[in-house]
Amino acid sequence: MSALRLISNRTSQQALSNSDYTWEYEYYEYGPVSFEGLKAHKYSIVIGFWVGLAVFVIFMFFVLTLLTKTGAPHQDNAEPSEKRFRMNSFVADFGRPLESERVFSRQIAEESRSLFHFCINEVEHLDKAKQSQKGPGLESNIHFQEVPRSSGMFEEDLNCLTKFNIPNFVNTEQNSSLGEDDLLISEPPIILESKSVMQSSHRILD
Amino acid sequence: ENMSDFSLNITDCTQVVVPEEVFFTVAAAGILENLLVLIAVIRNKNLHLPMYFFICSLAISDMLGSLYKTLENIFIILCKMGYLTRRGDFEKKLDDAMDSMFILSLLGSIFSLLAIAADRYITIFYALRYHNIMTLRRALVILAIIWTFCAGSSIAIALFSYEAATVIPFTILFPLMMFFILCLYVHMFLLARSHAKKIASLPTSTVHQRTNMKGAITLTIFLGVFLCCWAPFVLHILLARFCPHNPYCACYMSIFHVNGTLIMCNAIIDPMIFAFRSPELRSTFKKMFCCAR
Repeated sequence: MSALRLISNRTSQQALSNSDYTWEYEYYEYGPVSFEGLKAHKYSIVIGFWVGLAVFVIFMFFVLTLLTKTGAPHQDNAEPSEKRFRMNSFVADFGRPLESERVFSRQIAEESRSLFHFCINEVEHLDKAKQSQKGPGLESNIHFQEVPRSSGMFEEDLNCLTKFNIPNFVNTEQNSSLGEDDLLISEPPIILESKSVMQSSHRILD
Repeated sequence: ENMSDFSLNITDCTQVVVPEEVFFTVAAAGILENLLVLIAVIRNKNLHLPMYFFICSLAISDMLGSLYKTLENIFIILCKMGYLTRRGDFEKKLDDAMDSMFILSLLGSIFSLLAIAADRYITIFYALRYHNIMTLRRALVILAIIWTFCAGSSIAIALFSYEAATVIPFTILFPLMMFFILCLYVHMFLLARSHAKKIASLPTSTVHQRTNMKGAITLTIFLGVFLCCWAPFVLHILLARFCPHNPYCACYMSIFHVNGTLIMCNAIIDPMIFAFRSPELRSTFKKMFCCAR
């Protein structure tokens, strides 16, 4: 690569034209590099670099595993739990491209219904307090930025109602049952954003 | 200084040569695989989503990297066979063009990985607003900006590679982006863990710790692969700039071709850890090959 030509303004008289892998972009032939008096092994940078890289990657892995171990306790449960299945797929799919192609699956109607019920419940809770906010949101498929930002959670609920697209982190397997599991999976961002919604969602789940 | 007295010291670090067959096989595999990803995304309308466009961008930059190496090898062979002169003007221009292709590939890879990480971050933390935040049009605009910036920078770096100033930002950008991507993913990972805790605290659910391990493994693979494939080359550039005469540095630089092969291996591994994890894409592949038969 001749971007390294910056070092070698002197590549003109290379005496290596008959060796195999030479051509004019060989700036690593920096002329007489003396190899005498080396204190350490000559490949020490190579070895040091790769060892350092391996140590760093392993260290990163252990840090992440440590985060795992201090996380959820492992509970034994004999029955196959749908929630566990969902949680597995959610966490495992953390590394996978979170798919919204599930939107096109044949279960979309049912899931929309369950999400719709969830949204309806949410909005019913909040509707009592703020009647006026619902108006513009329900009319049209407006963008998030256009909804008045007077209260944090209303926008999501209004978006729920206006667009029944399933957020694309919901991983719906073909053989899974619907209902609370979807709501559970759709919780995490809400949990992050508002504690009140978490309480209400627990109300829904119970 | 002239090279007239180049002495072949036995203790010299001679160039580590990678056989041409290995080179071409690895490069061809990388190009084909990424091309398949592109074709699959283009053909399947279900995959016209921002997330897959970012994966396509990564596939394009990987393809450019492998293409660069292939062309470089072809030129070496042509030079050996005498069809090309070694100091011609045309060859220098061609060489500059190929250099900029390579830097474009590196920058494109970094920014595509960043875009993928940011897209996943928005998916998880702004899930309900995701469809409003990351519309298809915005994704295409983001990609256009990324690639324009990368193209401009690569041409500038290739033209001004003689200046010291170009190498330093280039090598600072690399770890900076890596660190940023790592932060995004760790934050997502922490959320997944806290979500797991919340699920576990519910009376009727269980959480398998194994799945969190899987998240740790996946994340380590993402970043480990990128680091191991690109960092050797970036270090090469640094050493070539700052200590070309040092024997230790020279020994490191003698494995230049191995570093190049690693970059091509990255092009092969990236589709496996990004694109092929999507069942929709896999089923598109199966359909493509089944219809071909």
